[in-house]
Amino acid sequence: MGLKVGIDFGTSNSGVAIYRDGKVHILPIDSKNVVPEVVKTILYITRDYKHFIGQQAVEIYFKQNINRQRRFVQKWSGEIDYTGSDMHYVRDIYVYVDELQPGRLLQYIKTALRSEKYQGTQVFERYYSLTDIISGYLQALKQRAETLLEEEISGATLGRPVKFSQDSDQDLKAQNTLLQAAMDAGFKQVEFELEPVAAALYYELSLSQPQNVLIFDFGGGTLDLTIMRLGDPNHREVYASGGISIAGSDFDRAIIQKRMLAHFGKGVIQNDPDIQKLIHTIPDWAALPELSTPRAKAELEGAVHAGVTPVRLKALESLIFNDLAFSFYNMVEATKITLSSLGAAVARMKEKDLDIWELYTRSQFEKDIQEYRDQIEQMLMDTVRASGLEPGEIDAVVKTGGSSNIPVFSDMLARIFGEDKVKASDIFNSVTGGLAIKAYQNS
Amino acid sequence: MISPDKIDEWIHEVEERPSSAELIIHYIANRLSELASREEELAAQNIELLSGRKVEEYKSRIASLEYQLALLKRQLGGEVILPTEAPVTTPIQETINIVICNPSGRVLRLEMTPAELASSPTMARIIGEVCLEGAQPTVLVTTSQEELLLIFDSGRTVAHPASQLPLSNADSLGWEGAFLEEPRIKEELAAIQPIAKMPLYEMCIQTSRRGYVKKIKMPVFTSHLAEDYIGTGVKLPADKTCGLTFANTGSLFVMVSQEGYIFSMQAERLPTAIEEVIRLGITDHIVATFTVNREPSILFITQNGKAVHRDASWLEPANSFKSKGQAILSKERREAGIRIVGAAPVDDPDWGVFLLEDGSLNAYKLEDLLATGSLPVVQPSASILSFSTFHMPETNE
Repeated sequence: MGLKVGIDFGTSNSGVAIYRDGKVHILPIDSKNVVPEVVKTILYITRDYKHFIGQQAVEIYFKQNINRQRRFVQKWSGEIDYTGSDMHYVRDIYVYVDELQPGRLLQYIKTALRSEKYQGTQVFERYYSLTDIISGYLQALKQRAETLLEEEISGATLGRPVKFSQDSDQDLKAQNTLLQAAMDAGFKQVEFELEPVAAALYYELSLSQPQNVLIFDFGGGTLDLTIMRLGDPNHREVYASGGISIAGSDFDRAIIQKRMLAHFGKGVIQNDPDIQKLIHTIPDWAALPELSTPRAKAELEGAVHAGVTPVRLKALESLIFNDLAFSFYNMVEATKITLSSLGAAVARMKEKDLDIWELYTRSQFEKDIQEYRDQIEQMLMDTVRASGLEPGEIDAVVKTGGSSNIPVFSDMLARIFGEDKVKASDIFNSVTGGLAIKAYQNS
Repeated sequence: MISPDKIDEWIHEVEERPSSAELIIHYIANRLSELASREEELAAQNIELLSGRKVEEYKSRIASLEYQLALLKRQLGGEVILPTEAPVTTPIQETINIVICNPSGRVLRLEMTPAELASSPTMARIIGEVCLEGAQPTVLVTTSQEELLLIFDSGRTVAHPASQLPLSNADSLGWEGAFLEEPRIKEELAAIQPIAKMPLYEMCIQTSRRGYVKKIKMPVFTSHLAEDYIGTGVKLPADKTCGLTFANTGSLFVMVSQEGYIFSMQAERLPTAIEEVIRLGITDHIVATFTVNREPSILFITQNGKAVHRDASWLEPANSFKSKGQAILSKERREAGIRIVGAAPVDDPDWGVFLLEDGSLNAYKLEDLLATGSLPVVQPSASILSFSTFHMPETNE
């Protein structure tokens, strides 16, 4: 029988672990990363259809794309029929394609699983369905793990959020897509485990007596809550679980909407719907790279030429046409992460024609995500209520996932359950470790 | 972008977490220091501008570009006298040159200052027969610094600097005293094209009277010009070349026919081999070709002096060749004998020069013309033969 591993396929980061000799071994899957045990969930596909993941993908993307040349050519993409007066017309549709584009960078892949609309994307001459994209990523992950383990991997236990979507059909569809992608990537046996349950299993290793535990798994894409009885492997019981599609990427989007758009002309551009549309597309990571069309360039250059807030529109042009979107999102995320340890941070980005300096404080951030905080607290109280336990009956609250480090949520947990009960697990690896334990138990 | 609201929010952070105060002061101080050094840089640039150093630098760059342009003109066969040392930077006083030519190779040139042109609508009148031996003349307005390419229907070309064509007298304008670039046997002068700005374009489009088009990449066209032969640009024996248009990628190329049909298409989509792009009626032919770039509107002139004005966005670029074209004239007006004699992309400050059947040459500010909708001087007996637009050069006072 082949090897089985646990894989945490996360929204921002992923990880691979194996359980051997009574211990969890988190694999140093990305040697180029600051934390080698996690690999960024990023896939870069080059023009010759080679796949790169993690820090390597980022490096190749920067090398190939920043300040590169562009050449737009018109390509026939189909035709439309329409009727006007009593005439029937058939019109050719052309799209502008940048024929010098060296590759496509795909991020927040997991978020696409919860979208009803996202089916896939065209990468040069090939169409990549969502299954193909995830499969490409998992295949690269598998190859790296096999190189490290020097052994073939036959199966995996994959983590999944409590709810991909509030809609049960969409939730099932998302899991099936992930299953198919894992099979296509070469895993012969694939099982799923809820991510907070996996985190609980990892936490259980440190327990000497049974406890009621709330797992607060707050990552890049979702918040997953599970209340369990842990400590006795023969009598584990899940009391309640809940999930909500709010997490780190939503907070990044809130920062962009409330603090960054003004740098690109929001509030100043009043009577130009085309440019307003460009500005309001900035928070949409999937749509921003698609804005680099000759038409958008002509609109922006026309407005700059006419003296309409030229500095801000030049900044917008630079963001779109110098391939700075990825750096921009990273900058916003880094500012948010800094605020977990400091009371203030500076969102700073200085590139050609683009100069952002935004002093951002923790209280501003907390104000910007107020709406999400209320929803999260509501979900938390609903889950506790569903478990049949009172907050005082919960012995430990285990935080895991990058967003669980945000102080306002630690304060929320301390206020409801008591400060001494809130414990931080390994924020990036507890789910991966728990999945490895589950994979071992299933084999 | 620091607003009072943001400052209040920072103060709120300090009230909530006093430990943030030190950090905020640190960030603001760093920013102030950065802005101070940037302000110093900008102030230094401002001093350069105010002292005229930048102006001198740009003048020197312009002079260098003009010198390169003169070299290019020389390569193309123009008889430009090259400066023997670095060109002077004093601006050259531009004059307006009105060039009238006919198919037999006769060329008349009038030179006027902007002030002379604006003083009276009628500038001159051709004495004697206007359409010599039935050959209809055409008018072109250009500047004194222009290089003119004379294109014969055989595909042969001859280049002359505008300023070196003999000057005609406005008071005794007639074909007898015209400069003659004698056509060869069975040859006719088909068009005159200004080419001084040619190096600024990526391609040249040759058009024929029957709606055939050929796109030539500029390096290839330049090598053709060096041979004084650009090709006939026609497929049909009864067809004839009717001119050249320079374009860049993204320019919208436009052709207008006498019966008021318009063909437009992005220049880069035009064929490189001679191809019929608009299907014209048997009695119709092309009267104007041009490209639309930043000009906001198009002006069409009919033989009876009506000015039809359309926004550039009115043009509907064709999706394919051999189209019938977009109509500017209604069926009734076409059947009533209304014909287009010329069209051009225009901007508000532009001027137009009109050559009438009675030989008179009239200049109008297009803004005035568009307000009235027609030429005031056109009599039923004297229809318009040709017209040309131009941008009035700025005077140095």
